[in-house]
Amino acid sequence: MTAPRPYALLAEITYRCPLHCPYCSNPVTVKSAVPNGEQAEPIALGTAHTTTNNGELTTEEWKRVIREAAELGVLQIGFSGGEPLARRDLAELIRAARETNLYTNLITSAIGLDDDRVRGLRVAGLDSIQLSFQSDEPSLADEIAGARAHERKLDVAAKIRAAGIPLSLNFVIHRRSIDRLAQMIALAEALGAKRVELANVQFYGWAFRNRAALLPTREQVNRARDIATAAKARLTGKIDIFYVLPDYYEMRPKPCLNGWGHRYLTVNPIGDVLPCPTASSAIPDLRFENVRTHNLDWIWRESESFNRFRGTEWMPEPCRSCPQKEIDFGGCRCQAALLTGNAANTDPVCELSPNRAVTDAVLCDANSSSDDWPEWTYRTNPSPLPV
Amino acid sequence: MRAKPISDLARPSLAKGVRLQIDSATNKNVLLYPEGIVELNETADEILSRCDGRMLGQIVRELADAYQADSNALAADIRDTLSDLERRKLIVFK
Repeated sequence: MTAPRPYALLAEITYRCPLHCPYCSNPVTVKSAVPNGEQAEPIALGTAHTTTNNGELTTEEWKRVIREAAELGVLQIGFSGGEPLARRDLAELIRAARETNLYTNLITSAIGLDDDRVRGLRVAGLDSIQLSFQSDEPSLADEIAGARAHERKLDVAAKIRAAGIPLSLNFVIHRRSIDRLAQMIALAEALGAKRVELANVQFYGWAFRNRAALLPTREQVNRARDIATAAKARLTGKIDIFYVLPDYYEMRPKPCLNGWGHRYLTVNPIGDVLPCPTASSAIPDLRFENVRTHNLDWIWRESESFNRFRGTEWMPEPCRSCPQKEIDFGGCRCQAALLTGNAANTDPVCELSPNRAVTDAVLCDANSSSDDWPEWTYRTNPSPLPV
Repeated sequence: MRAKPISDLARPSLAKGVRLQIDSATNKNVLLYPEGIVELNETADEILSRCDGRMLGQIVRELADAYQADSNALAADIRDTLSDLERRKLIVFK
């Protein structure tokens, strides 16, 4: 099918991150850039403290990617990671994005954001900041992050507001944190956020490993849904609340990405272009093209990875004859790959999927476990932290 | 729903963090805001392009002239559009 125009680019400018959240959806390892079809070697992810860039795109390469994205029709860019502040050229990249008229969002943990950098980002033209929080409760938040971060986040939230940059709060919610949903919303109110995203953890990358520790019980999910619905009604016109459902508990799949290769694209730190940020780890048999060897326009329109699941032609039954196929697009390709071993299958969250039993078995374990809080493994970077 | 109708003296403006700009792919205006894009139809575009400090009464008069339309009916439509945009926090009244 002909490629539609994309609307948003997620620029994952680094995988380096000072936090160790067990729900991280980034891949566990990342391939090095592949020159002309040579075999890719997995390379170690750096940490926020290393000085080597581990094959990350340079400033000039990112500027070219930004220009190519704008020419392709992209209107919004999200600078993400890892922790995008780990790159010293962040303000320069934001300025480059504004020069091509892109709307610029920064998705950050706040670690590394001092007065000078807030000012620098504002002067560069940054339109909005999304600040991640792990909880409203400091000791729990720091425990989840695996770092003392919460107090600094509160401080940075005040700095962002003082600078006049619109602030959104992002919470990833899971078995350990979901019971404090009401208090998290109260924190967003207290910090003057315009928007709060309460996203139940999605199981990709590192989070997939920690699923047993992170998946809430049905009872927790039902309580949280009521709290989110009531808060949405109460705060209409004050704060926009986005509650992302825990999809394993749904009977129909999420409309992932609004369709593969339809509205969104992601460029990862080494320049691989992904239809979805989790695709590189979830769908290993798909070959992703790199901005060092092809321009973005070709990759978006012509590459095999973007066309594999574009439109509805690729769909198997029961999706192919389903009246919902243009609504949920068969769900999530990465989830199909992770849970059924084949990315082209119907997302096994769907009650019509022949593989729904796989999802039900996971739910059954989560709801029958006698362990309220199974242990998780913290996100780690393979390279050790320098002393 | 609003408790009171929007006054003719109200000055609708884009909310902080919201940008109105041309989409080079379609040559039409779009509203951009955190994590969101609204592609505007002609009416919404005509209204939003005037949300720059002008009073509602003036916006109604300008559009009634431009479209040779009955200003009472038009005023009701514009108020509906503006309250929808206000509810979505895309505009504020100054």
